[in-house]
Amino acid sequence: MSLFGATSGFGAAGAGVFGSATTDSHNPMKDVEVTSPPDDSISCLAFSPPTMPGNFLIGGSWANDVRCWEVQDNGQTVPKAQQMHTGPVLDACWSDDGSKVFTASCDKTAKMWDLNSNQALQIAQHDGPIKSIHWIKAPNYSCIMTGSWDKTLKFWDTRSPNPMMSLQMPERSYCADVVYPMAVVATADRGLIVYQLENQPSEFRRIDSPLKHQHRCVAIFKDKQNKPTGFALGSIEGRVAIHYINPPNPAKDNFTFKCHRSNGTNTTTPQDIYAVNAISFHPVHGTLATVGSDGRFSFWDKDARTKLKTSEQLDQPITACCFNSNGNIFAYASSYDWSKGHEYYNPQKKNYIFLRSAAEELKPRNKK
Amino acid sequence: MAEGGDVEWELSKENIQPLRRGRAISALHQALSQQQDGLSSAVNHQRQGFESELRMYDGEDPLDVWDRYIEWTEQTFPQGGKESNLSTLLERAVTKFTEERKYHEDPRYVELWIKFAEHCPEPLDIYRYMQAQGIGVTQASLYIAWSEEYENQGNCRKADLVYQEGFKKFAGPHDKLLQFHKALQARVSRQVMMNVEEDSGDDEPKAPERVSLAEFKRRGKKKAVAPVNRVGSSIRSISGGVQSLGAPVLGNAANSRLMVFDENKTQSAGPSEPKLEAWAAPPPAKAKENEQNPEKWVDVKIPQKSKFGHTVMAPPPPKPTFQPFVEESDQLPTMTPCKINPAVNTVLSARKACREETPLKRLQEHHQQQKEAESGTPREQSMYCKELVLGGATEFCFEELRAERYFKKMNQEGGRKDPTGVSASN
Repeated sequence: MSLFGATSGFGAAGAGVFGSATTDSHNPMKDVEVTSPPDDSISCLAFSPPTMPGNFLIGGSWANDVRCWEVQDNGQTVPKAQQMHTGPVLDACWSDDGSKVFTASCDKTAKMWDLNSNQALQIAQHDGPIKSIHWIKAPNYSCIMTGSWDKTLKFWDTRSPNPMMSLQMPERSYCADVVYPMAVVATADRGLIVYQLENQPSEFRRIDSPLKHQHRCVAIFKDKQNKPTGFALGSIEGRVAIHYINPPNPAKDNFTFKCHRSNGTNTTTPQDIYAVNAISFHPVHGTLATVGSDGRFSFWDKDARTKLKTSEQLDQPITACCFNSNGNIFAYASSYDWSKGHEYYNPQKKNYIFLRSAAEELKPRNKK
Repeated sequence: MAEGGDVEWELSKENIQPLRRGRAISALHQALSQQQDGLSSAVNHQRQGFESELRMYDGEDPLDVWDRYIEWTEQTFPQGGKESNLSTLLERAVTKFTEERKYHEDPRYVELWIKFAEHCPEPLDIYRYMQAQGIGVTQASLYIAWSEEYENQGNCRKADLVYQEGFKKFAGPHDKLLQFHKALQARVSRQVMMNVEEDSGDDEPKAPERVSLAEFKRRGKKKAVAPVNRVGSSIRSISGGVQSLGAPVLGNAANSRLMVFDENKTQSAGPSEPKLEAWAAPPPAKAKENEQNPEKWVDVKIPQKSKFGHTVMAPPPPKPTFQPFVEESDQLPTMTPCKINPAVNTVLSARKACREETPLKRLQEHHQQQKEAESGTPREQSMYCKELVLGGATEFCFEELRAERYFKKMNQEGGRKDPTGVSASN
């Protein structure tokens, strides 16, 4: 099944050049629109790993589905396949060889989707919705890590119905990231736990949150030797913390910065503060992108501690983002993030995924 | 009240906090049979159900949800304690409806206030605040609880005065007020009789011996401070095993009660009559013994000068171990992390606020924010639904809010399976 439904045609006008005469604010950056976007808010985006030729994008949504598109070099997007859960999909990820996609849902299960056969099997079960799912490829094992609102972090060998390991967390898991051998999980109540994954997963350290507000998103970054060395943590109130695990000088090396706020210099009107919905690091440059409830994305250079770019404001929050494996493409999703409750939810409003060329804009600023 | 040895034993149980309404046996049994530290899955689900209900409720009587949630919490966590979140819940519930006139005489709301007061170091302050705010002034329960507190502190005269106040205000139900007042009078007169008997046989002056297992009178208005001198007048009552030691000890306790009637003695319990005071906020709720004001140790003087005659200076305060809060400006192209905006140096005060934060301060801040929102312009505003995210005892993230609504909708469509909204089936 390669068509997503009756709405749009098969790759028709896939480049998304919708008569640029209209300046409606759904795409102020004039980026490429992905065809056949999901019918409800997009919770996650992930590009295929470098082991696979070409670029394939998967996106999970609150319409209970996960969709897969092929992104061609000319910018055209082709809908390829779709899988369903029995509840909204909260997270998705690829296996390291690109043959499988793992999806996590509110229906308390996680599935393994074999793209070749287009079959999906349940591989995990929790007592509550699964908020995050990551593939771990270690020298001596491979597994799936799932973080759930049932306050557990479980590790699954996809061949067995029982978890290889189950770790208790102090609170519900809100976001997580994995870059072997490190994993970090941010929980409710501003909890922050780092795990080490060598030999087998174990808790490494609990960290006092550098942020004062609810944790919302987290992304691990690497050092010049390509080893994970710290993470960026975003909160519900326009702030991101850059935190190194073992810095020479924590007071100087760790810092936070404000983002996704309005009225920077204007002191007469109150400053609006928006949630940071997602953070992604550029795989080559090490610079980062943040997307927020304010409907903007921003690029930052954490080493030079400068902002590289902020986009125009979209008419909806941006809920997810990701880079492709070589860093040429930045994908971001425009849909309602529920930041203002259900009164502001408009089921008729269309949801979008945009693609932007990322090679130039994410280049680090030269250090002074 | 405590008289026979059996009742004393009942009151000394610490793993089961007594409830006015009593406990449901089934809930108690279930709660006590749980061995492990973590909350059971069922309890988690139930709590999640309440949290979700708090946020989704759109009817006329939001107090009902809080009331049921708190009642469930009391039944499910007989030990009380941090896991139950009970004091947080009470504080939130009480704060949330302070402005709601319609609840001020609602017996449920008044009952929540009384429970809240019982969690505070100085309940009398809470009762006085309630009176000043006009909360529960026509409810007998307020005066009964208030009077009991005075009685516990050994002030039977004021305990009686509280009832007078209640009668003046025509607090109801009237019969209940009358009945409890009569009981108080009976207790008081019995004490007087016993003291009259004991006094005659008690000749020698007693050296102030530190009595073991005695309950101490609280010192200080705002915080529960264990008194430094643990003898004599500090003893509020003697409970537990000491009771069995016999008459002289009882006499001691009775003496402390009798002292109350002496109008010339100063009392530490505050103004003579429950006055209407301009209270901005209720007093602090949590007893923090580690925040005692420095008090004089028993008759020990510390020499102020070193032996060379130099004045001894206090050592400089230690350097803070946290990392400084760094302001970043969005307008400048470069972010210099070393620059700390002096106008917004919340580094130290942020830290300090954490340690000194009390429910009193929180409520004051809450009032301040409300006033600020009404009158002036706040400096910043968060662009998300704070009410929903932070509404209950625990926080929710946007996805949880949305998921709760999703589950509720699913349940409604799928028939009545699970009223808490978290379906157990896949």
